Amino acid sequence: MSSKPTPSSLGTKPGSPVLEVRGLTVDYAGNRALDMNSFILAEGELAGVVGANGAGKSTFVNGLLGWSRGTPRINGKVFLNGHAISSLSTHERVRQGLLLVPESDLVFATMTVEENLAHCTDQRHSGDRRIYSIQEIYELFPNLAERRRHLGGQLSGGERQMLGIARALRLAPRVLLLDEPSIGLAPRLVSVVLETVRKLVDQGLSVLLVEQNVKAAIRVVDRLVLLDRGHVVASGTADEMRDDPRLAEAYLGAGA
Amino acid sequence: MNFAQQLINGLVLGHAYALIAIGWTVLLGVARLVNFGHGQMYMLGAFVTWFVMAKTGLPYLVAIPLSMTVGVAVGYLMQRTMLQLTIKQDLVSVMIVTLGFGHVLEGAAALFFGSTGQILDTPLSLSNIYIADIWITWQDIAIILVTVVFFAGLKYVIEKTELGRLIRMVAEDPKLAALAGIDIQKIYLGVFAFEGAAVALAASLVAPRTPILTSMGFNEVIITFVVVVLGGIGSVAGSYMAGIGLGLFTAFFGAYVSAAYSTAAMFIVLIIVLVIRPGGLATRPGGH
Repeated sequence: MSSKPTPSSLGTKPGSPVLEVRGLTVDYAGNRALDMNSFILAEGELAGVVGANGAGKSTFVNGLLGWSRGTPRINGKVFLNGHAISSLSTHERVRQGLLLVPESDLVFATMTVEENLAHCTDQRHSGDRRIYSIQEIYELFPNLAERRRHLGGQLSGGERQMLGIARALRLAPRVLLLDEPSIGLAPRLVSVVLETVRKLVDQGLSVLLVEQNVKAAIRVVDRLVLLDRGHVVASGTADEMRDDPRLAEAYLGAGA
Repeated sequence: MNFAQQLINGLVLGHAYALIAIGWTVLLGVARLVNFGHGQMYMLGAFVTWFVMAKTGLPYLVAIPLSMTVGVAVGYLMQRTMLQLTIKQDLVSVMIVTLGFGHVLEGAAALFFGSTGQILDTPLSLSNIYIADIWITWQDIAIILVTVVFFAGLKYVIEKTELGRLIRMVAEDPKLAALAGIDIQKIYLGVFAFEGAAVALAASLVAPRTPILTSMGFNEVIITFVVVVLGGIGSVAGSYMAGIGLGLFTAFFGAYVSAAYSTAAMFIVLIIVLVIRPGGLATRPGGH
């Protein structure tokens, strides 16, 4: 296992809150899918959000952006870097630096890799946020450089994840929300993607990582949050959570 | 009537069809929406052009942009009204709203412009050219030139520019486009405004070929519908080809078979094409 603790994964995070949630609820046709009293992501932190299927993980990260493929009712307050953003529409939150790579359909399939990576928002308003240049993106994801003239729809699952993350990096993220980037990937690729995410966090990015694959996630995250039926049921550093019976109960089971 | 004359007629008519349809093509391609008020917007464009020239005496070249401005306003207003339906992609409601909007436009136009037919004469439509025994007007030449330039320009904008890339993103996946920081409402409003301008331009150019009536909208929307469906929903180049094909078909069918049945024949062609290539209506690039 490559779980050597990085300086930032020792538990105490010096960073100030970059993303804060108060009383976030999401309802689908009257059914409460998420009921999150409070949540804080610190600057430069990589927090993993785990839980069984239907625990509300995707609903949580989508709700932060007021976004969904369906039509839920979303209530509650979200603060990004101290500013309330819950009254903003999705694209405005994106322009403030809250970037989401959704679980599926995460690239523009009819556009080339290059077009996917060209700019959408006005760079001048990105303030102190870092915009990754095309060169930096291709250094980070050499596969994408090779495939830059291919259409998004021609890419493999792993390449799509990389392109999804890369596109978000081009939009000057303050906080990056990743919804199951390891889904459907071969184990080797899971490590590649998650280690790249770790690298980005070490460069200063704040990331909320939704993962089904707890074993892979626990190797890279600073902190793990366990969701169950739309609630936070446990939270702690990777080391604390590794032995938490609730996590084992939710996931690791007997054979783990 | 000789063959060469029919060929010219067909080409002019075909370019006219393509030009009338272009706004709807973009609307379908980008917003996946239909606008059954399209024909009435065409009618309005023709009457505004006529009104400006006949009642205020302003020249044709001023009347065209004024008519396009009214078209932009009508398109924007229509989309503003049904923005939520658009975002929810509630196609049945959008169809009904646009149909209703078209009828309101028709009633308002009859009230304002009167229900008698008018002739929209322009300096170009009054100047004929004879080459051997072929007859054509400068208006016809203008229709072909403007259509070619418009389609080429539109293809360039959509494929090569930043704006075109944003439009294609919204067309493929509006939800994902929002996650890329694109204001999709603005794009939808812009596309409707574009449709209004494009159909008004088409009306200013094409309407001088025939008398104009406030009730002519329905026929125009039918032709547009056929062009757009034949061309493959939302395809700019496809619409151009379909427009010309349909224009030639109408001209030759009218000359050699019967002009009275050319619309019916047009629909038979449409049905045959759809049966052979059902993808025409059903498939959209990157649709969900």
